[in-house]
Amino acid sequence: MLKFAAAIEGLNDRIGRFTSWGILVLVVLQFAVVIQRYVFGVGFVWLQETITYVYASVFMLAAGFTLLRDGHVRVDIWYREASEKARALVDLLGALVFLWPVTGLLLFVAWPYVSRSFAILEGSRESGGLPLLYLLKGEILIFAAALALQGLARAIRAVAVLGNGETEEGAR
Amino acid sequence: MSVSEGLDIGMFVVACVVLLAGYPVAFTLSGTAVAFALLGWALHVFDPTFLSALPQRIFGIMTNPVLISVPLFVFMGVMLERSKVAELLLETMGRLFGRIPGGLGISVTLVGALLAASTGIVGATVVTMGLLSLPTMLRWGYDPKLASGSIAAAGTLGQIIPPSLVLVVLGDVLANAYQIAQTSQGNFAPETVSVSDLFAGALIPGLVLAGLYIVWQVIVAIVNPKASPPAPAGLGKVTLREVAGALIPPVALVLCVLGSILFGIATPTEAASVGAAGTLLLGAQRRAPHLARWFVATWISLALLLAMASSIDMRLGRSDTTAVEHVAIVVAALLSLGLASGLLLAIRVNFREDVLTPVVRTTTEITTMVFTIVVGATFFSLVFRGLGGEAMVARHLEALPGGSAQAIIVVMVAMFLLGFFVDYLEIAYIVVPIAAPVLLKMPMPDGSAMSPVWLGVLMSVNLQTSFMHPPFGAALFFLRGVAPPEVKTSHIYLGAIPFVVIQILMLWVLWEWPSLATWLPRLLYASQ
Repeated sequence: MLKFAAAIEGLNDRIGRFTSWGILVLVVLQFAVVIQRYVFGVGFVWLQETITYVYASVFMLAAGFTLLRDGHVRVDIWYREASEKARALVDLLGALVFLWPVTGLLLFVAWPYVSRSFAILEGSRESGGLPLLYLLKGEILIFAAALALQGLARAIRAVAVLGNGETEEGAR
Repeated sequence: MSVSEGLDIGMFVVACVVLLAGYPVAFTLSGTAVAFALLGWALHVFDPTFLSALPQRIFGIMTNPVLISVPLFVFMGVMLERSKVAELLLETMGRLFGRIPGGLGISVTLVGALLAASTGIVGATVVTMGLLSLPTMLRWGYDPKLASGSIAAAGTLGQIIPPSLVLVVLGDVLANAYQIAQTSQGNFAPETVSVSDLFAGALIPGLVLAGLYIVWQVIVAIVNPKASPPAPAGLGKVTLREVAGALIPPVALVLCVLGSILFGIATPTEAASVGAAGTLLLGAQRRAPHLARWFVATWISLALLLAMASSIDMRLGRSDTTAVEHVAIVVAALLSLGLASGLLLAIRVNFREDVLTPVVRTTTEITTMVFTIVVGATFFSLVFRGLGGEAMVARHLEALPGGSAQAIIVVMVAMFLLGFFVDYLEIAYIVVPIAAPVLLKMPMPDGSAMSPVWLGVLMSVNLQTSFMHPPFGAALFFLRGVAPPEVKTSHIYLGAIPFVVIQILMLWVLWEWPSLATWLPRLLYASQ
């Protein structure tokens, strides 16, 4: 089971490392748009849309990665002082009570929304825009799935900590 | 009280309690909302079709043009921190002001205000200053309470002095609320309020606040000289050249970014991208001094490009381009190429020096954290609305006997108290959409029409306070994490109290003199 958790973590880690370069792409493209607009008075809808796509993709795809790195903010007045077992219990219960119901609901309501978009291969509403809007909407499913999987990996590690009674290397 | 109102209040209370367990806030909020949605459905007071709006809401967040500036501002702040530009600034200012009593504390506030303007991340500023300045202050014999309070407070200045994330987020939310308020009053050509308006509105109050911090430090230095002594003898002299070298580049960059937004030349997103590119260059300059002339050349081409753009019409695709303009366009194209290669060189240097990789990772984590909370808060407010909570809040706020003044105070107190549990993002995305449309329909305390800028600035000073009120304030946590062990937690808490009092004083000042917030936007954007 721990191997399975490690596999999920490896996947989210790779996704996160890859998508984080989107930030640099975002900086460079937006800067290029500024120069184009202010110096040469030209603008391209597809370039502006690419920026939106890159920006949205970074945080939609990296949500699981951020959970892996424990980057989602916690109210940690009690959590940071708690024992390892207590923290494992919070992570396990949190996944069961909060994370999975949320991602489950999101998958449930987003599925028809995304498949409608895929069915017509929905594109941009602007002329000259990117014809890939359906892919962007599809990222909602990836967002939910990556979070649910990463929650599973954390839960597996938490169960191991609770079961072993001895110190287990955390899921960071 | 009906069943659905009970559920609404219950949802708030339960969320605040379970948050304390320490599971990530975004999922705790949304999970609580899902549970109460199911409960409401079972009790026939919640229509589950409300939830089918979720994907559209999330898609709206993904394509929100205002929020694209968030990763860019975060990148700018993280880059300034990691490339040691901030560190050098702090060290130089400390040596410059260290000779006078209270000087080090004052320089911390000044650097906080300057850096603040470049980042909006409380954690980054507090950690940097806590690691660099706190040990020095203690060594010089500062009172640990004053030292830690000054640092925590200075770190939060970034939330009120523009450009800041709090203002971007509030601007986004208030724009919607303002529209709803006006439409519901029958005005179908509503006025707008933008992030730029809020930036302009928050500038003077932010500077006044920084001034108040400094006044407090001067008072302490006079009344109790032992609490903030000057530097011990033997502190190295600081040359004008050093000060200029450390101060001018980051300050010039911040002023350019802020100036272009305030004067309406660029949108916050555009200005932020220039700022981000600028920090790439600054960081590379710091890391690779032997390549300095290339970076100077890059800056010069940027300056020339902007100068040419403002004096010569170089728009492409016109039929009436003159010969001079043709030449100018070619020159500008060459300059752009130079600029691009300079930027590539800077990216390469930052990558080689192992600065860029951690910066993009940290930026990704912070951006994702921010947006996951926005998504979580969207779940929460959707269910809250589905249970009829919005109408309930509006009814109760409008029924208050004290009119708009009392309604504003009630909302402000609620925001202040919520600050004990959650941070500005959740408050901005949960409380503001519920309360602001109601408040924006009311008159100001002085009887004139409500100014959304004034309300936004009032809210952001209030939200800034939530970072430093004991025991939950985020700035205090970050400081605790990096403070040496001889600084007790009680020192940090006690030290923060005078600054929290200053914040409340500032709220009162804004209440009495709303023009502090409304004067500059009116001057800059005269049409409003």
